[in-house]
Order: sequence, then C-alpha cells, then structure tokens
Amino acid sequence: MINAIVRIGTTTINVTRTFRDTLSFAFTIILKMFNKNSYNSATRLVIIHQIYFTSIQILPLFIVISIIFGTLLMGIVFQIIKNLGLAEHLGRILMNLVVTELAPFVTVLLIALRSSSAINAEIAVMKVSKELNTLDKFNIDAVDYLFLPRVINGVISVVLLSAFFSILVLTSGLLFSKLLFGLSLESYSNVLLSSANFYDIVISLVKCCTFGFFITLIPIRFGLHATNDLTSIPISVLNGMVDVFIAIVFIEVLSLILIFI
Amino acid sequence: MRLFEDEVTLGKGLNDFTAKNKKNLGLVSLDAPLISNLDVWVNIALIKQYHENLSADKAQELVLRYLTRYSLEDISNKRNPALTNRERFCAMLLRAAMVRDSIVVIDRPFTIIPDVQDDRFIYDALKAVDDSFKECHIFDYLWSKDRYRIIDV
Repeated sequence: MINAIVRIGTTTINVTRTFRDTLSFAFTIILKMFNKNSYNSATRLVIIHQIYFTSIQILPLFIVISIIFGTLLMGIVFQIIKNLGLAEHLGRILMNLVVTELAPFVTVLLIALRSSSAINAEIAVMKVSKELNTLDKFNIDAVDYLFLPRVINGVISVVLLSAFFSILVLTSGLLFSKLLFGLSLESYSNVLLSSANFYDIVISLVKCCTFGFFITLIPIRFGLHATNDLTSIPISVLNGMVDVFIAIVFIEVLSLILIFI
Repeated sequence: MRLFEDEVTLGKGLNDFTAKNKKNLGLVSLDAPLISNLDVWVNIALIKQYHENLSADKAQELVLRYLTRYSLEDISNKRNPALTNRERFCAMLLRAAMVRDSIVVIDRPFTIIPDVQDDRFIYDALKAVDDSFKECHIFDYLWSKDRYRIIDV
C-alpha cells in the first residue's frame, strides 16, 4: 500500500517537473523569439533550411495525403449533410470541421511524425558527439543558433501547411457540392465565404502556432536529455515522441474546451 | 608550445587557459568537432556569420579564399565524415582562425592527425593562415616532444 502511494507520488512529482521544465524552456524560447539580438546571418540561414526541410520537402506526400484523405472525407461529410437535411448549414459545418479542427490536426500529425522525430534525433546526436560543446567553445548560443530557428520553423510550417490542407480539402469539396447539391463554383464559394468566421480563423491560427511551437520544442528538450552514450539516442527520441503526442492531444482538448466555452 | 606530463595536468592547463581567453578562443580539438550535418564551408563561415553578421554569400567567399591557400577548395561542400584527417585539421584550424583576434589553441594535434609523423604539417598549416590569428598555443603531452622535434624541454 505504502509502495503504491510512493509510486503515485513519484510519478506525480516527475510529471509536474517535466511540465514545469517544458514551460520554463518555452518561456526562454519565447523571450529569445522577441529579442532582435537572437537573429543574425547564421540563424536566418538555419531558418530557411529548416523551412525547406519541413514545409517544402514534405509537399508531394502532403498533397497526396490531403487529396486522398480530404476527398474521401468530404464525400462522407457531404453525404451525411444531405441525408440529415442540413444543407443550409453546409458552409458552417465545412469551415468548423476542416479549417478549425481537421487541417491543424492532420498537419501537426504529419509534421510530428517526420520532423519532430528528426529534430529529436539530431539534437541527441549533436549532444552525444560533442557538437553542442563546439558551439559553446565558439561562444555560439545553442538557443539562438539551433533551437530558435527550429521552433520558428515549426510555427511557420504548421500554419502554412494547415492553410494549404484547408484549401485542398475545400477545393475537393467542390466536386461533391456539384454532384450532391448541384452547387456551382460561385454558389459553393459564396456559401464558404459567408460562413467564414473571423473567430474560427483566429482559433485555427492560434492552435496551429501552439502545435508548431510544442512539436519542435519538446523534441529539442528531450534531445538535450541524451547522455554521452549512443544508446541514449533512441531512448531520448522515444520519450520525446511520446511527449509530443501527449502535447498534441492536450492542445487539441484545450482548444475544444475553449471553443465550447 | 605547452607540454604536460599527463592527461590530468594537461586538462587542467587547457581548461584554465581556455577559460581565461574564452572571448577570443579559437579551439582546434576533438572535443570541439566540426558539426557533421553542415558542409565544411558552413562550419567555418558560421563564426563570421554568427558573431559579425556577415552575409552567407560573403562568408562563403571568404572561406573559399582561405581554403584555396591549402588547395582544399573541393572540400567546401563536403561534410565532416567525408574528410581525411589532414583536411579535417585544416578545416578546424580555419574555423578557429575565423574568430576575431583569435587566440588559436590546438589541443593534442596528433589526435586529429594521427597519421602525421612530425609537426611540419602543423606549422605549414599555421603559416598559411598566420595573418588571421593573433596567437597560437599548442597543448600536448610531454612524451610527444619527439614529434615536435624538441630535444630538451
């Protein structure tokens, strides 16, 4: 009994400590983000490279997934709307479902799978191979040069790809609106535009920024936890990715609660 | 040239020296390796880009000019694992020389270039870029003195 209580207590302390450390690290990164001294020719080059790796290299896969997944989903959603006789709410349903919920979630999952794991492994390898020590010896702040560009890239990439996903899926919705409701391009566009709500777009934007921020910040933090052993790299990636998925679910739930309030 | 009896005294001597000259330190050491996911030119240019905000184009031009002194222009787009020991040493030395008013510290050079028999290669490499650093200090073990062609210490 006492052992069980001790275990619960230890777990609670560890979870609280991880949460506190993540927030403290996030605060450091945010402070650096708004400090103009953090930006120089080297950091700008890293930001450009990171955006290329995260947003551009993934495009072919992203477009294929968006079209396949989006078209199928749109087909089902349009069919349900027709069956339930909710045609007058078509625009509102699409905007809420695609722009606010689906686009950020699918985008963040794809980027987390591809880039978060890569960032986590990259930082862990740099730690193990003493490359972080190199930066320190040459008076280069790792936060400015390595971490900040990756976090900024995360925010920009999730926002841009999420917007792109919304456009692709809503465009594929045109096909079904024509087939099931006989809507023309103009009518379909009008339905969507009249349903677009500034509040929804702000929520979607904030959600994308938060997703992008944490799916890059958490892997960096776990990469730094690697020790000097090569075997610590997979452990650091494993723990980091688990926490990334917990963070994604946490942010999604929090945003849903905010929307309901 | 600073020669030490064992690893402990060398480590202490090196730490004290680097701590005292942290601001202008240009370290050439296996403890400060080239960053393996960056090209050689980026590794070297990084110092000027970060500390002096030199544009990437100008920094690359500068690095290529220095690499030409070693006839190593062709390694500019290579990465650390693809370099030979001598190429790696020259790249690390150039990176150290990029620090403003650099105090170059070479930590046990023969651990970076184990295939080199004596110090002639090191001195030739230093001489080729001697206009770009203020001082140079070599830290090594006493038992390596033969490789530096030192008869008595």
